[in-house]
Amino acid sequence: MAFEQELLAIVPRLRRFARGLARDAADADDLCQAAIERALKSRDQWQAGTRLDSWMYRIARNIWIDNLRASGRRGIHADIDDGVTQIADNSHVRMEASMELNDVDRAMQKLPAEQREAVMLVLVEGYAYKEAAEILEVPMGTLTSRLARGREALIRELGEAA
Amino acid sequence: MSFDRATIAAYVDGELDLVTSRRIEKSIAEDAGVAKAVEDERALRARLSARFDPVAQEPVPNRLAALLSGNVDNSLSERRLPKWYRPSVLQWGAMAASLVVGMMIGGTALDRDGGYVRDNGGRIVAAGALADALDSQLASTQASTAKVRIGISFANADGQYCRTFESASLDGIACKAGSDWQLRRTMTGGDTSDYRQASAGELVEAAAGMMADDPLDAAAEKAAAENGWR
Repeated sequence: MAFEQELLAIVPRLRRFARGLARDAADADDLCQAAIERALKSRDQWQAGTRLDSWMYRIARNIWIDNLRASGRRGIHADIDDGVTQIADNSHVRMEASMELNDVDRAMQKLPAEQREAVMLVLVEGYAYKEAAEILEVPMGTLTSRLARGREALIRELGEAA
Repeated sequence: MSFDRATIAAYVDGELDLVTSRRIEKSIAEDAGVAKAVEDERALRARLSARFDPVAQEPVPNRLAALLSGNVDNSLSERRLPKWYRPSVLQWGAMAASLVVGMMIGGTALDRDGGYVRDNGGRIVAAGALADALDSQLASTQASTAKVRIGISFANADGQYCRTFESASLDGIACKAGSDWQLRRTMTGGDTSDYRQASAGELVEAAAGMMADDPLDAAAEKAAAENGWR
């Protein structure tokens, strides 16, 4: 199976992950696009026999974090890159996306980045603690404590009816 | 409460050993605090899934799919690409040539891999693990280590469902005719990355030429599989 085909099969899940990290749907797909482009460029660094999905999640997550840091405002990030934005930018779509922001989106966006990514990987993407820690390149204990704080905040935020 | 929050979360996440899990299950009945905590954690998971899982069921936007379909200028792909990439006449010629080679090699694949194909009254149809994969394996959820990998699924001009597949010994396109998956295109499978890339490109082009409409997205693929590809 060609590398591209394998990647394509992962894209639906990658979009779900990105949707949880980014502030809206357009940003999430910008993040996916940047991640796919980087993966294609650095395909030599992927070791055959290891999980391609974990590798892709790590790339997407690193781009997202770099972007957050570059923006200097934690929790609010700049566009992935100007070139991508030029094609993707569509204020109409963006407006619709922000109007669709629901309780879960709002609660997720209040979480610090490191809690949000831990929550997405374990509770939504279904990774084991060990795998999630490897994707994020942190020790297991760090992952579990971020996860604990993240889910505690979400349960509080979303209330009894969570 | 007889267990701390982290242990209860680990229980819901399936990260606990069997013995501790059983102790928690026992205490759910006896300790209202534990029961409530487990319920909260499960509800949170359900709420997150309800919000995010539908995203994974959406069709992949063209601008992302185009990055991975090869031979296109990525930066402007969404603007330039038609709804689906159609092969040129020249590429068809190359495809026809590889089909001849493919059918000859397809014969040798009859007895390999525990039989991916069999002869059904003069038609080569999928068998064994290949037939199983074509029947039930979904491109969106298949394991990266699967022996047979499904590529794209689509309906052809005759209204049959067809799917591209790849394996170590045989790549091709099979279409569902009655109860059989008839092999319409075959190529030798291969393990070297250069070969695989070329092979996948040809398959996608051949598939594009057979399609009546766009390929199925993840949701349509799942629905078609559940309906037995009829």
